[in-house]
Amino acid sequence: MATLADLEKMIGRMALGDRAAFTSLYGSTSAKLFGVSLRILNDRAEAEDALQEVFVKVWHNAGRYQSNGLSPMTWLITIARNHAIDRLRARKAGGAQMDEAADIADATPGPEALAMAGSDRARIVACMGELDPARSDAVRRAYLMGDSYAELAARYDVPLNTIRTWLRRSLLKLRECLSR
Amino acid sequence: MTTTAEREDDWTLTAEYALGLLTPAESAAFEDRLAVDPAFRADLADWHESFARLTDGIDPVTPPPGLEDRLTERLFGVPERRGLLRRLGLVPALAGGLVAALLVLFVTNQGLLTGPDVPEGPIYATEMATPAGDLVVRAAYDPATGTLALDRDAGAAPPGRSLEVWLIADGADPASLGILSDDPRTDLTVAADHRAAMPGGLLALTDEPAGGSPSGAPSGAPIASGTVRILEL
Repeated sequence: MATLADLEKMIGRMALGDRAAFTSLYGSTSAKLFGVSLRILNDRAEAEDALQEVFVKVWHNAGRYQSNGLSPMTWLITIARNHAIDRLRARKAGGAQMDEAADIADATPGPEALAMAGSDRARIVACMGELDPARSDAVRRAYLMGDSYAELAARYDVPLNTIRTWLRRSLLKLRECLSR
Repeated sequence: MTTTAEREDDWTLTAEYALGLLTPAESAAFEDRLAVDPAFRADLADWHESFARLTDGIDPVTPPPGLEDRLTERLFGVPERRGLLRRLGLVPALAGGLVAALLVLFVTNQGLLTGPDVPEGPIYATEMATPAGDLVVRAAYDPATGTLALDRDAGAAPPGRSLEVWLIADGADPASLGILSDDPRTDLTVAADHRAAMPGGLLALTDEPAGGSPSGAPSGAPIASGTVRILEL
């Protein structure tokens, strides 16, 4: 099981072109990132393509990791999430119908094999729990499904400006809870 | 002076940016501010940390085994070495990576770069260590002479056994390079037909009967290995 320090070391070595470090990082994190890609894209073949692209980005950007202030798993998950969301939006723009998502309201932490800050983990779940369920669901949809304001407005059947005000208030509440 | 309302606006704007909810024009304007304001960047990092936790409920799914090979080939143009490693049951031994400076020190200490035999071309090096660190062998390879200098830092062959050095190149069967001597330092000469495969090749150690593998192939999985890489000097 790779610790946070292990992952940072691997990324640091990758920045110097160490392929063995890349292999180690892939071994330690690919299952989590594949899980995230699969959840967002809900298509195995596309998730496999996405995972490849993600690790190509990770390899090429390893040198910039140090400066972004993120923990290694957050950096990796954010790259994987953003890439999957980009693909999802491209798919939506192409007119294909998006499958109804799996139960995204269920954010119960599963058995996590990767190094993460335990207190942070509990905190976001607790803070999301303080939001009105529909609003925390909207935040989740934006993050895990890439829903736009227009899509959220349609989903919750409220005007665009209302959904934006709604979500911004939820984000502010979330921020206040997280910084408590 | 930033008012609370402005501060709150900035927080939510940063979160909207992290979620990808801004329009392209809004995103571009935000990125302009991000570029010059460290406080924004710190906020953004905080939001990313928080949002990433939303994936905690997503279980890991092991990707198909072929994916890593395709990825490695795409990035490094080195197909199938992984496949061979897997077949040998090898765990990447360089998990922690190795520090080039240490190697420079090692090569220098070994006299490879001093005296009359200073190599003119590049030097390649690697380290082979067991996960527990009870056997550590460092290697430096001089392509000009075909000399592989092995330095046993820790550990030794079990009594009555030999440690055999193998070169594992792309798609080829492991080739024996020789046996580690009882001295801490062993110099081997790599046979001419294996030299081309040394840079980027994998060196591995196996535990063999005294004198080396009787079959000419490794008797078991490597106990330590390392990829031979160029040493930037």
